[in-house]
Amino acid sequence: MNLRFGRRAPGEGPLAEINTTPLIDVSLVLVVILLLATPLTFESSFGVRKGDALAQPALVADRQDRVELTITGERQVEVNGRAVAVDQLAGALRPLLRPGSPREIAVACGDQVSHGAFVRVLDIARQNGAQTISVAGD
Amino acid sequence: MRLQRSPEPPPLARINVTPIIDVALVLVIILLVTAPMMSTSDLPVELPGAHARDLERPDFISVTVARDGRLAVDETAAAGIGDVPALVRGRLAAGRDRNRLVVVRADAALPHAVVRRLLEAAREGGARNLGLATAQIADGRP
Repeated sequence: MNLRFGRRAPGEGPLAEINTTPLIDVSLVLVVILLLATPLTFESSFGVRKGDALAQPALVADRQDRVELTITGERQVEVNGRAVAVDQLAGALRPLLRPGSPREIAVACGDQVSHGAFVRVLDIARQNGAQTISVAGD
Repeated sequence: MRLQRSPEPPPLARINVTPIIDVALVLVIILLVTAPMMSTSDLPVELPGAHARDLERPDFISVTVARDGRLAVDETAAAGIGDVPALVRGRLAAGRDRNRLVVVRADAALPHAVVRRLLEAAREGGARNLGLATAQIADGRP
């Protein structure tokens, strides 16, 4: 009986090239999947609380510290009852949402104002320190 | 002197199945990871853009409303807003987490009244955590 351990047959050279085929296969599949999933990964979302109507008297105590935003038009907002253009909203909110304050806003929005304008205001509020966003009901 | 030819290597008798197993395993993993994301409806929706990122949970129930008013809860079409509470309730009951996030994916051009009614419908269906979907604008704050 002739046993050979760990020795190559005569004429059989060493394996000089790395087989890259599996690596390329896996990479191509990953590229295809990522291309398909890319639009979904660029979605995010704002957490919102469904709040009560701003005029509800039971919440007067709670309302003292929170900021009330009323979106009256595509580019017009009221901050605690004071009319502000959307372009100036960041400056108006920053002192009201400073660290130490409750950083809570209640947003009411006109029925015909577009969802895009509504989200733009939420985005500005969030970027300037709002942590809790309540959307006022009817 | 006689030259002696080295013996020919034996023919490849077996198909190399390693690449196909590699690809199959990668596909399985990717599908497992992306399955929750793929459950959203493919209704055409132009989401409003936003810089801020807030909720990043991969597992959520989506309520989608297109510009033309077509509705879907996850991938199931809804005939109207009246159907949304029951569909959301069914999804919440089917999952393990009763506090699953319910995200309203509404077209940016829709009036706010529609979105507000959908938020109310989702809450009526038992949703405790609500979100509004946005399209991430590049160069946004993390």
